[in-house]
Amino acid sequence: MIHPIQTAVVNRDGSVVFCVIKNMIQVFRWDQTKSEFVAAGQWVDDEDSSNAIKKKVSEEQQRQRAENEAKRRKIEDDAAESETAKRSRRHKDAKVPVPGAGAPPVYNHVRNLALSRDEKLLYACTDSDKALVVFALDFDKENCLILQKRQPLPKRPNALTTTQDDKQVLVADKFGDVYSVDARGSDVVDVSKGNLEPILGHVSLLTAVAIVCDADGKQLLVTADRDEHIRLTHYPQTYIVDKWLFGSKQFVSTLCVPEWGTNLLFSAGGDNFVSSWNWQSGELVDALDIDELVNPFLGDAQLAPSKFQDESNSLVEYAVSKLVTFSNLPYVAFFVEQTRALFICKVDPLVGKLMLVQTIEMSLNIVSLSSALSADSIMVTLDHRDSENAHLAAFITWDGTQFSVDGEKNISFHNCITEKLHEDPVASTEAQDIYPLYSVATLRKRAEN
Amino acid sequence: RAHSNPFSDHQLEYPVSPEEMDWQKLYPHFFDEATSKMTKEVTIADIGCGFGGLLIDLSPEFPENLILGMEIRVQVTNYVEDRIIALRSNNAATNGYQNISVLRGNAMKFLPNFFRKSQLEKMFFCFPDPHFKQRKHKARIITNTLLSEYAYALKEGGIVYTITDVLDLHQWMVKHLEEHPLFDRLSTEWEKNDKCVQIMRHATEEGKKVERKKGDKYVACFVRLPNPTIM
Repeated sequence: MIHPIQTAVVNRDGSVVFCVIKNMIQVFRWDQTKSEFVAAGQWVDDEDSSNAIKKKVSEEQQRQRAENEAKRRKIEDDAAESETAKRSRRHKDAKVPVPGAGAPPVYNHVRNLALSRDEKLLYACTDSDKALVVFALDFDKENCLILQKRQPLPKRPNALTTTQDDKQVLVADKFGDVYSVDARGSDVVDVSKGNLEPILGHVSLLTAVAIVCDADGKQLLVTADRDEHIRLTHYPQTYIVDKWLFGSKQFVSTLCVPEWGTNLLFSAGGDNFVSSWNWQSGELVDALDIDELVNPFLGDAQLAPSKFQDESNSLVEYAVSKLVTFSNLPYVAFFVEQTRALFICKVDPLVGKLMLVQTIEMSLNIVSLSSALSADSIMVTLDHRDSENAHLAAFITWDGTQFSVDGEKNISFHNCITEKLHEDPVASTEAQDIYPLYSVATLRKRAEN
Repeated sequence: RAHSNPFSDHQLEYPVSPEEMDWQKLYPHFFDEATSKMTKEVTIADIGCGFGGLLIDLSPEFPENLILGMEIRVQVTNYVEDRIIALRSNNAATNGYQNISVLRGNAMKFLPNFFRKSQLEKMFFCFPDPHFKQRKHKARIITNTLLSEYAYALKEGGIVYTITDVLDLHQWMVKHLEEHPLFDRLSTEWEKNDKCVQIMRHATEEGKKVERKKGDKYVACFVRLPNPTIM
């Protein structure tokens, strides 16, 4: 079977779809004249992660050697070298640790796809070497993805955005830091030399990052973390914190900045509500309780892990995985991890009040959600592992009054992707080898003393 | 335990926002029953207050300020709590030590949950954990990224006090504070004339330990500069 699409990004007008399947990016273009999807490009991350690990281990070894050497110099006279010191001179090569039996599998996949604002560049993060990869897009070529550079980062990148002028990519990592990387050109900074300093940091895993602009066009960076925090920081003066948005009770997993509502920002995560903020005033303007909407779609997958379960084994925990909006349509769409339902809310663009208007039930669990901003359409990717020949993705479009599943587009996409990938060695998988598609729930904090 | 990992999910209590913090239970003397409001707010914070020696010596010097110690280790916090309770009851006649309190917390994560923008006048970092290993440097309490959060909580002209007996850590703290655009180092002349510096040198338990061992103490103080024009 073809591995499920872990994440996808649709361009603004909905004409191009970028999909991540394992360590591969697949691009499909909607051909208007033929009225069908065509394959437009692909890239496979063939970087061997052991290289990166080996480099790191040798660097650490060298650092320790230098440190020991310095200590030795302190204690002894340089002329009289002791036996132990001589022995330590005969260096062995750095040992790269190999996982033992029963160790969890290591996935070297691609994550966090994003387009530049002008849609001329595609950004992706790789697991293998914790790098930001930049592609130029040229749809006149047979393969539209042209690798520009590969910038390794100190820690695993987890979310990214670009500045308003698209000159810098802002990458938020699992260590809590945000780095600013030159979006264009091919120059790579050597991180091992400490040449890349974070522009801001939380002492918490960062889950989402976005840029908002105030009335004077000044930019603020919004960062969300596992400790309920949403922070606004001036950009580029990232040493000036503007404010925190207080009101989340659980981790934040997703941020959404609409173009139609000045000062509005939406967030969601481990809370049983979706938050609507006025980021200018710092006020939580609405918290849409989603318990009732979500309940019918929950199942065993949302039972808390046994370690944290209550006596009646009924403790349910769910998390909103992703929240998206559109350019001109004041609606937001979101889904809860490991469920089939897509919820669509209408928003009052002046005050930010949320109102549920539609629930669309898919036939399979939703894995990822992306919106074509100006086409008012949505793409979801689906967990098809238990159903032979089921679709890997679905398109949902706005018809002027409501959203509905676009059956024709779905079939066209299905035909195109199966034809392209049914014999592809990278894409094919066995059901039991599928990458863990649901990781948002693991962000929930488990207190220890 | 001598150490606590600032990155782990401790069983911590912290308010959703500074507005929701219940200060009454920490400073009952400064709670006005008639208005149900605090008459003063915390303006001095001792981050990683340890056994509370600094709080106790600062208390009579700043009777008009509320002083809060934050400590991540449970047992140490309990000890300081008991110590303050005893001091308050022994000085009930004069209402002594009503202006100091302690809470268990992780300041590196949750400082903004307790303090509004520009609320603090002074922040103390006395003998912080040196985290010698290079890969543990993010666990240090002074990093360029955390300094931006301290600058948020401090008002213009507010002071960051640092003291340590570890030269390497002193140099690290000075370097990062000097590099930060919102802090400026104060002169040794200023340090000489500041009563807090004198208290900080001698009041804390760590400071006394260093004295007994005849170790060095390195002090550095910084003032919070006004924000530059936003670009």
